[in-house]
Amino acid sequence: MATANQTIPSFVPVETLAKPWRKDVFACWPWLKRLVKMRSFQFLVILPNLFLFYLFLIAGVFGTPVGNRNIIIVFVWILWWFVLIAAMVPFGSRLWCTMCPLPFFGDWLQRGAVIGVRPGKSAGTENTFFGAWRRWPKQLSNIWLQNFGFLFLATFSALLVTRPIVSALVFGVLILLAAGLAVVFRLRTFCNYVCPISGFLSLYSMTSTVELRSTDKDVCLKCKYKSCIRGSDKGWACPWNVYMGKLDRNNYCGLCFECVKSCPHDNISLFLRPFATSDVGLRGYDEVWKASIMLVLAFTYSVVLLGPWGRLKDWANVSEVHNWRGFGLFAAGQALLALVVFPGLYYLSVRLAKWYARADSISTKELFLKYAYMLVPMGLLAWIAFSVPLIMVNGSYIISVASDPLGWGMNLFHSSEFAWAPLYPASVPFIQVPILLAGLYYGLRGLHKVGSGLFPDPQQLYRSMTPPAVLLLGTTLVFMKLFIG
Amino acid sequence: MVLLMLIGLPASLWCWRHLSLPHRYPPATKLITLTATADGGIWTQDPIVGYNYWWRRPNRTEQVILNQGEHVVVRVRSADLLHSFAIPILRIGPLDVPAGHTLEVEFDAKRPGVLTFLCWQVCSPEHGRLHGRFVVKGDATEEGW
Repeated sequence: MATANQTIPSFVPVETLAKPWRKDVFACWPWLKRLVKMRSFQFLVILPNLFLFYLFLIAGVFGTPVGNRNIIIVFVWILWWFVLIAAMVPFGSRLWCTMCPLPFFGDWLQRGAVIGVRPGKSAGTENTFFGAWRRWPKQLSNIWLQNFGFLFLATFSALLVTRPIVSALVFGVLILLAAGLAVVFRLRTFCNYVCPISGFLSLYSMTSTVELRSTDKDVCLKCKYKSCIRGSDKGWACPWNVYMGKLDRNNYCGLCFECVKSCPHDNISLFLRPFATSDVGLRGYDEVWKASIMLVLAFTYSVVLLGPWGRLKDWANVSEVHNWRGFGLFAAGQALLALVVFPGLYYLSVRLAKWYARADSISTKELFLKYAYMLVPMGLLAWIAFSVPLIMVNGSYIISVASDPLGWGMNLFHSSEFAWAPLYPASVPFIQVPILLAGLYYGLRGLHKVGSGLFPDPQQLYRSMTPPAVLLLGTTLVFMKLFIG
Repeated sequence: MVLLMLIGLPASLWCWRHLSLPHRYPPATKLITLTATADGGIWTQDPIVGYNYWWRRPNRTEQVILNQGEHVVVRVRSADLLHSFAIPILRIGPLDVPAGHTLEVEFDAKRPGVLTFLCWQVCSPEHGRLHGRFVVKGDATEEGW
């Protein structure tokens, strides 16, 4: 562990400092490694999701327009969302990307294969790819598009999560976009730079308890083949364009396990690690704004969907109420809060931190980027806290909809008339508060870890931590007020 | 496998709707699906589903012609909110029809005449328009309902 009185050069990335405990999962469970090394592994995990996804699209277009009786709404926005945010991301990193059906057709078109590998030469790789194989513009090689895409979709969330046709249209457009981009651009351009889901998965996967890494970085550095990023006859070039020798954060690793298949040195493994302690550095303004957008959206969703303010609900629900002026106010307010107000408050806290700690040797930009990590565990746990009532109050819809997925009057499992039955709704705040407090704890812990790498002097460290910590505490209190009244 | 799924899934849904569902009932049963929408106060036999819910007003079903002696199954649905279905002359209902649910009502069109069906509870501002009728055609000499 790095101690406060160590002198640490500022060019050392903070995440390489106190490398916490990690356990090699593939060494413990060799069967898992054999499983992911199977060429058909990813196809087999995508296939059931592709089937469901297809059913969702059909249900969105041809099923009942009533949200709580249509599988696309109930399974996606209640079941999938909860499993994704509360289980997959914190405990499986980007495990969803392993099984996501959205890029399936794009990959198929680009590779000309569903399971097999095509050795050959497409620029920069040892595989044969089809399509125009163009480079994605450098100016867009960040997550800004994902930020704005997610914010845009979130503005219409009242529509998206209640109207089957809107969900079907959005997913339909995403799958077409993924396929179109795969034909024109290299690798998984859609996943890396466009997919709005991928954007927040990249951010929150930093906290995850698993990571895919090289077992020994030196082996990677000496490796002549770089098969992880270039591909080989055993595996495709990394669809995410990641070189395992330099991978030190989960953000842009989609857990496709192609590198495990292609590495000639058998040097890639899956590791278990503690929650929210390893990848603690944000590296660009796009990531900081993503953290801000997600935290603010957790707040506005909680206000609109769970809060008692009817007028706000009406403003957000423009399709039913047709109050366009109110909707404009809601959309502008949400965007302003996510893009200007909250980042502004955070910037102010960083300026104060710099002034209070007399940290002249560190630039405001560096402090702004690095301290923003505190928003990551806080944001994730605020989203989990928000999602708890969704599953507890509305979870019973899953049982009825499983029996009648399109609302056509089917009764496949004799449960289509299963009555809506909230699960211990009175206990929801008692679950939400500890989750929020855990977010505060991990946020402060991350702040301390980052700060320790920047400030060797403990007094300076704690002074620098104080204003951002106050902001984090204030954010937690606002959420608590919202959840428990 | 993927192509099989792409074709098989819609095909099996079509089969359920057009082949399996009508065979649930005795032969010669007249199967009618009536969907209530609050917007416009309409009972309709058109399917109201995701793709047409917003931008197409369904055709109003003002009357459904039945033949005397037919066994009739009415699948009553609500496309938006809680409606209530009743055929007062047959003492059927009022039966709650929550949004998205399907309710089945059966009767025999024994005699010629007119059977009014309606939404029984004030569901929306246009509730008053939510009514229609079954017209049972048959031997005019028989006594009506």
